[in-house]
Amino acid sequence: MRNTIAIARKELNIYFATPIAYVMFTLFVVISSFFFLSLLSQYEYVSLQYMRMNNPELMNRLNFQDMIFRGLFGNLGVILIFIVPFLTMRLVAEEKRTKTIELLYTTPITPLEIVLGKYFACLSILAVALGLTLLYPALLQILAKDAAGVEWRSVALGYLGLFLIGAAYIAVGLFISALTDSQVVAALITFVVLLMSWIVGWSAARLEGWFREFVLYLTAVTHLESFSRGVVEPKDIVYFLSIVLFGLFATHRAVEAHRWS
Amino acid sequence: MIEVSHLVKNYRDLKAVQDVSFEVKTGEILGFLGPNGAGKTTTMRILTGVIPPTSGSVKVCGFDVFEQPMEVKRRIGYLPENPPLYTEMTVRDYLGFVASIKGVGRKARKAEVESVAVKTNCDKFIERVIGNLSKGQRQRVGLAQALLGDPEVLILDEPTVGLDPAQIIEVRELIKSLAGKHTIVLSTHILPEVTATCQRVLIIAGGKVVANDDLSGLRDRYAGAATADGRPGPAPSLEEIFLKLTSA
Repeated sequence: MRNTIAIARKELNIYFATPIAYVMFTLFVVISSFFFLSLLSQYEYVSLQYMRMNNPELMNRLNFQDMIFRGLFGNLGVILIFIVPFLTMRLVAEEKRTKTIELLYTTPITPLEIVLGKYFACLSILAVALGLTLLYPALLQILAKDAAGVEWRSVALGYLGLFLIGAAYIAVGLFISALTDSQVVAALITFVVLLMSWIVGWSAARLEGWFREFVLYLTAVTHLESFSRGVVEPKDIVYFLSIVLFGLFATHRAVEAHRWS
Repeated sequence: MIEVSHLVKNYRDLKAVQDVSFEVKTGEILGFLGPNGAGKTTTMRILTGVIPPTSGSVKVCGFDVFEQPMEVKRRIGYLPENPPLYTEMTVRDYLGFVASIKGVGRKARKAEVESVAVKTNCDKFIERVIGNLSKGQRQRVGLAQALLGDPEVLILDEPTVGLDPAQIIEVRELIKSLAGKHTIVLSTHILPEVTATCQRVLIIAGGKVVANDDLSGLRDRYAGAATADGRPGPAPSLEEIFLKLTSA
C-alpha cells in the first residue's frame, strides 16, 4: 500500500510538472462550460415559451435535471473519450521507452503496486476534473432561487456514473499504454477503442431483438444514461467495474510479461 | 555475497550469456570487463532481477534472485547503463521517490536523500529539474539513486560515463570508500579505472568468462617470457591482457 501511494505521488508529480494536468483541466472546463451554457440558454428559451403559453402543467414538468444535467452528463461522458487517452498514454509506455521501468523492477515493489499506483494517480486527476464542473449545479442552486432547484441526489448519481465511466476508460487506456513503448501509438489506439465503445451504439437503431440488446449493453454511454437519469442499476455498475478489473488485470499481466520478452 | 552459477541467457537465436559462473565475496570490488556486446549488461540485469535467466542461478546475500526476488531487491542498488531518471522531476523529488520505494521510512527519508546527495555531489543542483542537467550531473544522480537505502550490494554499469576527469576521480574515490561495507560489481570500458579501484577482475567475451583473478595474478599469468638470467619477464598492462583475452 505504501509503495502504491509512492508510485501514485510520483505520477501526480509528473502530471503537474508537465502541462498535461493543467491543459486537461482547462480544456475539460472550457468544453463543458460551452455545453452547460448552451443547455442553459435552451432551458431559458423553453421556459419562456411555456410561460407565454401560460401552461402551469408544462411549467411544473420543467426541471434542471431533465433539461440540463442529463444532457450535460451525456456530453461530458463523450468528452472523456477525447481526454482520457492523453492522460493514460504515457503511464507505462514512457517508462518502457526511457527504461525507467528498470528502476521499478530492481526495487522491492510488486507489479501490482506499480499498476495500482499509476491507476489511482490517473483516477484522482479525473476526480479533480469532474469536481471542477460541480460549479454548474452550484451556480444554478445559488442563482435560481424561484425554480424547483437542483436535485442534488440525481446530480450526485450523475457524477458517480461519470466517474465510473472515466474509471473504466482509464483502465482501458492504462492497459494499452502497457502494450507499447510509444505514447502516440498508445493514445491513438486508446482513442479508437474508446470511440468504438461509443459509436457501436449508433448501429443499434437498425438492429432488432437480442442482438440490439447486446450491442446496447456493449455501448459504454448506454450505461451512463441511466445514471444521468438519476437511477442506479446493478447491471451498469457491474459493467463499469468489470471493465476496470479486467483492464487492471490485463495491465498487470502486460507489465509482468514485459520482463520476459 | 554474490554467487553466480552456470548462468545462461538466450534472446531467441542470440546467445548473450553462456555458462557464466563467478563469486564475489563480501566487501570486494569486482571489475567486470568485456568488449561491447560481451554480455556484461545482460549479466548485470539478471543479477538485479530485471530479467530472468534462461537457466542457471544467481544468489545474492544467500537469496535466489528468482525464488526470492524481493529479499534480493531490498539488498541491491543498481545503476544501469542509462540512469533511470524521470526527467520531469527535480533531483530532490526523484531521490525522495526512489527512497520511498526502496522502503526508507518517511522520517528517515529526508536525511537519507540529503546525505546521499552530499556523497555524490548532487547537493548543488538538488532543486533543479533532471531534464535540464548535464550528462555528468545525471550520471551522479543515477549513482545517488543506487546508493539510497544503503544497500549491501552495488551493481554499477559504467558509473563514470560522461563525467569530466575531476568527477571521474571523485566517483572512483567514492566507490573505493564504499568497499569493505559494500560488495560492488563495477562494469567499465576504462581499464585504468579497474586498476585504480578493483581488487579482482572478471573478463568476459562472447558471453563466456575468459579470466577471473585478482590483478596481480593476472599479471603473473600473462607475464612476458622470462629473461635469460632467470628474472621474470615484464609485467603486462591490463590493456595488453584485455586485448589478448578478448581477441581470441
